Amino acid sequence: MYPKELEKHLLKVQKPGRYTGGELNSIVKDKSKVDIRYAFCFPDTYEIGMSHLGMKILYSLVNARDDAWCERVFAPWNDMEEVMRENDILLYGLESGDAIRDFDILGFTMQYELSYTNVLNMLDLAGLPVRAKDRTALTPIVVAGGTCVCNAEPMAEFFDITLLGDGEEVTNELIDLLKEYKAKGASKQDFLEAAAQIKGVYVPSLYDVEYNEDNTVRAITPKCGAPEKVEKRNVADLDSMFSPTEFVVPFLEVVHDRTTVEIFRGCIRGCRFCQAGFLNRPLRRKSPEVVEEQCRAICNSTGYDEISLCSLSTSDYKGLETLITNMLPWTIDEKINIALPSLRADNFPKELMERLNAVRRSGLTFAPEAGTQRLRDVINKNITEEEVLSTAAQAFAGGWTAVKLYFMIGLPTETQEDICGIANLAQAVVDEFYKNPDKPKGKGVNVSISVASLVPKPFTPFQWEPQDKPDVLIDKQNYLISCVKTRKVTVSRHVPWTSFLEGVFARGDRRLADVIETAWKKGCKFDGWAECLKPETWEESFAENGIDPYFYTARRREYDEILPWDHMDYGVTKKFLVNENKKAHKGETTACCREKCAGCGANKLNGGVCDEIGKTVV
Amino acid sequence: MKSVRLWYKKDGLAIYTSHLDMNRCFTRAVRRAEIPLWYTEGFNPHPYMTFLMPLPLGQVGMREPIDIRIEGDISFKEIRQKLNAVMPEGLEIVDVSKPECKPNEIAAAEYEIIAGFADAGEAEGFAAGAKSIIDSGVLNAEKRSKKGVKNVNLCEMIRSFEIEAAETNIHIKTVLAAGNTVNLNAELLLSALLSQFAAETESLTIVRTKLLKEDLSIFE
Repeated sequence: MYPKELEKHLLKVQKPGRYTGGELNSIVKDKSKVDIRYAFCFPDTYEIGMSHLGMKILYSLVNARDDAWCERVFAPWNDMEEVMRENDILLYGLESGDAIRDFDILGFTMQYELSYTNVLNMLDLAGLPVRAKDRTALTPIVVAGGTCVCNAEPMAEFFDITLLGDGEEVTNELIDLLKEYKAKGASKQDFLEAAAQIKGVYVPSLYDVEYNEDNTVRAITPKCGAPEKVEKRNVADLDSMFSPTEFVVPFLEVVHDRTTVEIFRGCIRGCRFCQAGFLNRPLRRKSPEVVEEQCRAICNSTGYDEISLCSLSTSDYKGLETLITNMLPWTIDEKINIALPSLRADNFPKELMERLNAVRRSGLTFAPEAGTQRLRDVINKNITEEEVLSTAAQAFAGGWTAVKLYFMIGLPTETQEDICGIANLAQAVVDEFYKNPDKPKGKGVNVSISVASLVPKPFTPFQWEPQDKPDVLIDKQNYLISCVKTRKVTVSRHVPWTSFLEGVFARGDRRLADVIETAWKKGCKFDGWAECLKPETWEESFAENGIDPYFYTARRREYDEILPWDHMDYGVTKKFLVNENKKAHKGETTACCREKCAGCGANKLNGGVCDEIGKTVV
Repeated sequence: MKSVRLWYKKDGLAIYTSHLDMNRCFTRAVRRAEIPLWYTEGFNPHPYMTFLMPLPLGQVGMREPIDIRIEGDISFKEIRQKLNAVMPEGLEIVDVSKPECKPNEIAAAEYEIIAGFADAGEAEGFAAGAKSIIDSGVLNAEKRSKKGVKNVNLCEMIRSFEIEAAETNIHIKTVLAAGNTVNLNAELLLSALLSQFAAETESLTIVRTKLLKEDLSIFE
């Protein structure tokens, strides 16, 4: 429910359904009967936030407690922000319409570096100081989790706490602790010091960071009993882990509007650019029976007619065949479509896909990532051209006429030949279509290639690599387009400046806080939206604070440099990452975990267990 | 396979749901309710569902029709109970019936409008002024349609119009042309009237109370 004073303005903004609440399965509690009010804050629009699985999980998890009430908060779009600021309406929880300033925990999920300014804007719209040190009361405590907090240093001045790794257990532990400290009237400082003792909790203010003259980090020193290294949380057993049986069903169309159930966490592949693949190790599987039961429950409570089985690499799921075979009878009967995102070209389950198409035909997407075998070896994307082509041929034989291919440019050791190789591979896929004797008459083929730019990320073997500057990326994009000789191949590309800014924050340090605050004050927000990004304003903000952004992106780091995120422990050892980096430069591949354990070290988080390799001694 | 006409009421938070979103919303509700739907055949099977008369964003509807097609035996009463058990806030099935009239028989709709003004004097002035404009038979306004923007005389689409002021509010009861060929949105009528006096409302509620046929008998 929205605040009463908003009513007369609601029809003046685009898509008022973003701001009203009251959706099916949203949870309204009696506020006088709960101890902890939790605002789950997603620093982007409603449509994007409502598509996020993590929010659905934590929303249900917190609301499963009788003593806590979790509400949803999204970043209001510019038109709504204007209405709120003009009429002094504070940012509110969608369930109650109450100002979140009076809540106990504001939990932000940080999926993308370019939502950092939105966090500041949301805190400000809530009527709170953006800097943690200026929020002196015990509550609200501003917490962040999600992928980006593996290096939360650029946002360290703004968050009170970050949560590393899986949120299912640590969220409850944090709520329990806050409830206890709130009851005894403790100070914020006492609470933060106690919270830092919980595994997976990072309190940035309890660490001093010193810098060398060249601006690299000299030392990171914990104080007040905070741990030297903050180890990420790892839920050992996905079958018994909390999982929602209801999703809030939005009135308006959102990006992913369907039943989504995870089938495993982690990844066996080890692609050297992929942060998610390393951050979420070790591999943990959910059993097919549990996945099926959860899919059924969510479909029943929502009425969704699509299920997405989600993971980092769905065709690697050992129980896929069993799962689909068991699910098909009832999904076909109920006209439910099953989508398998993240399929690999080297183990594409062709027969399964044909059976899945009994309900609706979905699109087909593969990610060769690089145009030549040499470069695919460098990034450890262990897929051959033959595999891509034979999968494409199979798909065309199965009646598909459109294929989407994902690539990256700006990869280490990349040459013009590699870039041209992207166009050549796309052309070879087109040729496969015309080789098919049964190709549908009168129908052409469309191969669309999407070209992203590499942003080297922490906790990947590429964390020491320089990132291409925007002008270099533009040249490479133009060169690629000049190599495409057919209209059957369409190219879409990322905005290089966006990748640049993402790169600055991804490997940034605490000195960036001033830059972020300056840019936000000058009006930067929704930086991930091409129509909102303001490169000149960002450049001014870097200059005003005496920060050279290329220090973070364009420089090759030494292996022995102290990295701003070195006090975070995601299980995978630095030694392993160094070795992978060296192998990349030699063009050597590393076998996937199913073939041979590469000894990344992450299984130490799981009592030595990795579901891929079983119990091993490290 | 048989056709069934659902009649729903839309108010509260649901008025912020657009026509397109209503379609998705009802499809899911019908699935949750486990109503045995008839699906279209072909590559992308979907349930047959037609909203007879789109309700503009922000307006309340008291009795709005949707046609669906079902398979198997299920009573109207059961359909209504099952659906109401799973409907989101603000949406309610008020009746289920056999489609008596053809969709193209809809020719008019009755509306009740309450608009609030800053003070009673302004409300009274507006009510008197609006009445004389409607009585004059000429109120030109730009009307958008699929063919583009056209300047039309709205009075030609007004079947009846009553207005009175009560303190700071004005109450309007009006019957306007509705349907596929000629249709007048109540909001357009009100904003055209407001612009004549450069007036602004503090609050506004538009309620579509019933759909009517050409002879102004009830559309069933």
